[in-house]
Amino acid sequence: MSKHLNDHQLLAYMEDSLSPSRREQANAHLGSCPTCRAALERMTQTAADLTGALQDIGDKVPLRPACSWEAVNRRRKSRDRPGLLGFSLRPYPRYAATLATIAILLGGLVAGIAVARTLVTTSMDADSTTPTPHTTLDVNPSSPPGPLPGHLTGGPPNPVGILILGIDGESASSNETDLLMLLYVDTETEKAFLLSIPREMFVEVQGHGQVRAGSVYGIGESDEGTDGLTLAGETMAATLDLPIHYTALVRFDSFVTLIDTIGGVDVDVLNEIDDPRFPDGQGGYDPLSIPAGQQHLDGALALRYARTRVVPAEGFDRTFRQRQIVLAAQERIMRLEMLPDLVAQSSTIWTTISGSLETNLSLTHAIELAVLMPDIPTDDVATASLDECCTVDHTTPSGEHGSLPESAAIKALVQSLLEEK
Amino acid sequence: MTQELIERTLAGDESAARQLHDSHYPAVLRLAHMLLQNLQDAEDATQDAFVYAFRNLARYDQERASFATWLKVIVTSRCRDRQRRQRFHWLSLQRLTESGIEPEDETDDHQPDTAFELVGMQQMIWDALNQVPRKSRQALILRFFGQLSYREIAQALDCTISTAKSRVGYGLRTLGQILGSEAGAALGYHFGDAK
Repeated sequence: MSKHLNDHQLLAYMEDSLSPSRREQANAHLGSCPTCRAALERMTQTAADLTGALQDIGDKVPLRPACSWEAVNRRRKSRDRPGLLGFSLRPYPRYAATLATIAILLGGLVAGIAVARTLVTTSMDADSTTPTPHTTLDVNPSSPPGPLPGHLTGGPPNPVGILILGIDGESASSNETDLLMLLYVDTETEKAFLLSIPREMFVEVQGHGQVRAGSVYGIGESDEGTDGLTLAGETMAATLDLPIHYTALVRFDSFVTLIDTIGGVDVDVLNEIDDPRFPDGQGGYDPLSIPAGQQHLDGALALRYARTRVVPAEGFDRTFRQRQIVLAAQERIMRLEMLPDLVAQSSTIWTTISGSLETNLSLTHAIELAVLMPDIPTDDVATASLDECCTVDHTTPSGEHGSLPESAAIKALVQSLLEEK
Repeated sequence: MTQELIERTLAGDESAARQLHDSHYPAVLRLAHMLLQNLQDAEDATQDAFVYAFRNLARYDQERASFATWLKVIVTSRCRDRQRRQRFHWLSLQRLTESGIEPEDETDDHQPDTAFELVGMQQMIWDALNQVPRKSRQALILRFFGQLSYREIAQALDCTISTAKSRVGYGLRTLGQILGSEAGAALGYHFGDAK
């Protein structure tokens, strides 16, 4: 007798999705196998009973459409929208500006990587006719001299952990980081998550005891024998028990430079922007007005376009405009089609990015990551923050308030971020 | 009809938005309730789903799925987010308990509730369904209540189509075994005489 039908086959038989030949085989088996006949019968009846019962149960769920609509309508119009990267800004409203900038700059970094990617492909196609790309590309002094990806020994780490630090415009002179995020990507399983770390969380720094996460970078900068990026990376890796391979620090003002380097961006301003209360940074107002239509924005204007809180039309809000800028920047960079230009531009672009974006991620590594990084849609990047779920409130003997990380809960959080989504 | 409402909503018509919400609200809430088994949570997940849908309405593509299906996939994903958060919550509670510190609020509000009375067959199937492992249970609900295709189930549960089918197949067999077992018999379930 042929093999018994498995769940899969029984289901397909029941739902009539077997191919004619498979169906014939299944019929032959069912004809001679009472066990499978009984299993099929049971499955069919279970499905029918389940459908009926769920239908009845569903009908009993009390409906309150008016309440629901009221809540939905309030929330869909609120300015408190998810950020560009898909996570809610609600837990850290005052970092909103920084978050937006980081997002945009990350977009810039991606654009830079896209250029690098084009170069890699092009240099493979037209090897002999073009200048050796990697000598031009290795503009970053921290980048180890070496051949292009593919020839590199070992390749980039996997999974890769990138710590992103942000310093907002208002505190640009200090070394207090307003924003800490860990981007974690597993290129094999194509899982990625973005974890926000509150700056008030206390972490252990050797020789300094308990320190607020936001201060670690500054301590590293003033310490002999280490630097801010290294110390922040090492400290967070130890706290989260996750590998951190690269650390990047983004300063608010670098956005303007980046956009200016690529010669501004062209965006379609859907509705006229009129914000008489745009903050001037000194507690007063610096009215912003941009007419509707196709506009060319320089760095400073693009920044204000992305930051203004006015919503001239449904959907035409900050997050939308931020995406517009990122896409416009990418498009502009990608449109520099001629190879010599591209080669010349790419080093400038990279210098700008790496000049305003302090990072220990070298261009060589960025290229490798770009080539190997799976195209994970933004929506699929799981996000979370180390809030009450994995920290407990804490006050230091000196009276500083903050939270303390709980390693077991963080482990569980990370685990589930990698499992789900 | 729905497509017209969507276009009017995108053009800023508030009454169209309301109509869009109201006409799809029952199915979305019911599905969320099936998945979360708690009315409060289900209402929250439903609101999350609609807020997301309205904000991303321009991205909805009628060629790919009906609006109702699109909403079901979204709400399933919101429900799973909630369950994930609740699991951490539970884990940290457990940790507190292990460390000997009494958690302040033991009566976690995420216990399954039943906002209504179930009788006979409904109760039996509901109880049996709750003994099916979570992932298969979700797949069963999406298939036999949500009427989603396997491709859509795969999308909603973030797994492959083949896994979606396996979960439904396994879920049905498990459910059948529970109902057919002594427990099912004790509940008064007999194959053949249902309904």
